[in-house]
Amino acid sequence: MAKIQFDKVEVGQTLPPLDIPVIEHANLVRYAGASGDFNPIHNDPDFAKKAGLDGTISHGMYVMAQVGRLCTSWADQKDIAYFGVTFKAMTKLGEKLTIVGTIKKKFEKDGKKTVTVLVEAKNEAGEVKAGGDLVVNAV
Amino acid sequence: MAITKDIVGKKLDRFDFTVERGKIKEFCLAINEKNPIYFDVEEAKKAGYSDVPAPPTFPTVIMFWGYPKIWNDMAELGIDLSKILHLKEEYTYHKILYPGKVYAQSEISDVKSGRAEIVTFRTTIYDEKDDPILSAEMAIFIRKD
Repeated sequence: MAKIQFDKVEVGQTLPPLDIPVIEHANLVRYAGASGDFNPIHNDPDFAKKAGLDGTISHGMYVMAQVGRLCTSWADQKDIAYFGVTFKAMTKLGEKLTIVGTIKKKFEKDGKKTVTVLVEAKNEAGEVKAGGDLVVNAV
Repeated sequence: MAITKDIVGKKLDRFDFTVERGKIKEFCLAINEKNPIYFDVEEAKKAGYSDVPAPPTFPTVIMFWGYPKIWNDMAELGIDLSKILHLKEEYTYHKILYPGKVYAQSEISDVKSGRAEIVTFRTTIYDEKDDPILSAEMAIFIRKD
């Protein structure tokens, strides 16, 4: 994948969005196994209800992984210096997310060019589930 | 039980982990990542990697599979596991994470107590030469009833 060209990106520019299929119980069971995060609030509906939730909720990290897919579809993974998100709302089964990115900042220091992108996972109502920054080394 | 600042700086046990190509593949299948660089060494090499890289959020695999004791540690710290929500996850990358042996060390880097209780764990993952590959910060939020 080509490196991000510092002069070719503008603050406010958006990345091609990524649509995520509806989150189903099977996605979370599979993610639990792959990631090793077996907290039962993600895989046991009875436990989740006893814990005061409506039902099982997505692993935050499943949502972050989807945001990560947008990051690596845009930038070469070798150029990613930082990727962090804050989880703002729970993602429930049946929700459909879209991952979006907007160039937030361009920065040049000591000959090192850096681009920061605001990356977010939103549901169909526009509620942000996770949002944070991707920092990429550019040329 | 309230969480207090006293635990800031507490180190968890150091642990070793072997990143395997098969585990990277399994993780990518679970998150719907289809880029062949994560599945095929030749494709990865064509893209300028020395082996299949682990995708950006793969470090979570190292933490949960490499250190399942985190749940006991949290319970011992007085954290009710049925009440925790993930608040923040941040990765600072120094090198690409490739298949091979790594080791990790976590510590409690911050605690906010009071109305909202937030505990932050900082983990650094090192390669066999003791060079840091990445550092991670995970903050959890403890829901009130």
